[in-house]
Amino acid sequence: MSASDINRVLDFVRDAFSEASKLWWRFFDWLAVVEWRQLFLTWLFVMIFFGMVHTPEPGVWYIFISFAVKVLAGGKRKAELMAREATMQANVATLERRLMEAKMAALQAQVEPHFLFNTLALIGQLIETDPKEAARVHAHLIDYLRSTLPQMRQRGGATLGKQVELSRAYLAIMQARMKERLQVRFQVPDFLGSAPFPPMMLQTLIENAIKHGLEPKIEGGTVAVRAHVVDADLHVEVCDDGVGIDPHADDGVGLANIRERLQLLYGADAALDISTPPGGGACATIRLPYKMMEDA
Amino acid sequence: MEDRPVTALIADDEAPMRDLLRSRLQQVWPDLQIVAEAANGVEAVELGEQFRPDIAFLDIRMPGMSGIEAARRLYERSHIVFATAYDQYALDAFEQGALDYLLKPVSAERLATTCARLQARLRARATTAAEAAPQDIGQQLAKLTTLLENRGKPEKPAYLRWIQAQVGSSLRMVSTREILFFQSDEKYTRVQTVGAEFLIRKTLKELLDELDPDEFWRIHRSTLVRVDAIAEVKRDLRGRQMLKVRGYPGELEVSRNHSYLFQQM
Repeated sequence: MSASDINRVLDFVRDAFSEASKLWWRFFDWLAVVEWRQLFLTWLFVMIFFGMVHTPEPGVWYIFISFAVKVLAGGKRKAELMAREATMQANVATLERRLMEAKMAALQAQVEPHFLFNTLALIGQLIETDPKEAARVHAHLIDYLRSTLPQMRQRGGATLGKQVELSRAYLAIMQARMKERLQVRFQVPDFLGSAPFPPMMLQTLIENAIKHGLEPKIEGGTVAVRAHVVDADLHVEVCDDGVGIDPHADDGVGLANIRERLQLLYGADAALDISTPPGGGACATIRLPYKMMEDA
Repeated sequence: MEDRPVTALIADDEAPMRDLLRSRLQQVWPDLQIVAEAANGVEAVELGEQFRPDIAFLDIRMPGMSGIEAARRLYERSHIVFATAYDQYALDAFEQGALDYLLKPVSAERLATTCARLQARLRARATTAAEAAPQDIGQQLAKLTTLLENRGKPEKPAYLRWIQAQVGSSLRMVSTREILFFQSDEKYTRVQTVGAEFLIRKTLKELLDELDPDEFWRIHRSTLVRVDAIAEVKRDLRGRQMLKVRGYPGELEVSRNHSYLFQQM
């Protein structure tokens, strides 16, 4: 016999052994959880069957072994089940903790001090030169802070309508600063306003579009926000025609945070896709299960 | 002292910020003549070369060209004063050098101090006719460039952070943090994420050169796996090491050449 033949035989023996041991443990597990009543029933069938073929020994062995295993294995199995439950509880606890952490991170990453300082400076400047514009920007800032500051956040803010409102306020302020370098387009049908949508995700995408897409571009450009329903999914898209994405640039905490929160909230049913359209710029799309309104 | 009025240039990408600085300057230094305003770095350099102002007020973050880059082209002719939004990095950088800077939003008092200093310097220059060692300023600007513009990417070479995959007519940008593994597949390379897979033309060899070696490990001739995505390593009956990856039902084989990656501690 050549070496390869020996190897093949060894492989076969190993596989056969593993199959047998797998079957045995399956039988063991079944015995551990099966009710005594059902076990008695199988004994009865086994007795009848082996009695009919006039060879009672295998039946007797079966009854003896299964009785012994059942008595011995019951405790082990119980312990296993308890351990599993404990692990699951621990997992749920971890998951909850991570959700809380992600929420905290989301809350903290909300109002950039730069933005606040610059907006206040802008209002101060406009008071001297254009008081009407100052009043407008001031009102937008209040709207913006009302929905971003965690202490001020109202209940029921997690709808697409509220998030769009917040983004409009933010973009209006940015327009006052960037002037004609920032154009804005919203295509969000009214009926989608009541659809649940996690807070601050749209805002992060818009901030990214301005910071990484339009601010570095001399002539500026357009931020377009679109929402539509595809099959059973709500798609919310933020596109800009800015400088695009440098493949060597870090994707940043903002996007990672959105991904993490989507994963925690919706599992595999939601996603954040980033793409660069042929015309240039960048598009970010959040996809999640569409509901007409929040469950009561 | 010359009779010619002192001239200045203001560069900031946000018009209201330019307006603010201009009106503050008019308050604290009414004789200063603002000869040009630029909305980006490129314009700042152009106008700076055209008007040769005595002073250039430059915002640091501007599109096209940063204020620091613009300053490196203008400092030999004009006094540079940087304007920056609050930023601990920038403040630390400026505290180390002797460059002038203003914190935005600019307060009238701070601007008055800066202007007094500028006036003194210009007078000194007019009487002694000695340049304030421009190479010194050049060095400081170079240092500022490395401090401020290359931060966040210290010495480390720029690794690939996004994989571009053609999907229909647009390019999908897949963050390396989403990727579970790459597997070469004859002509293409398969990119696997939690919910999707993409085909790209880049070969595994090219990817290996461009990706962060601490982020992705090669575990097989045809497989690169993201280290953070690895859930467990086990041996199958034949003694091969198999990897389980979070979010993917299958298993990945670790070849013998790479099994040293997963030796027990």
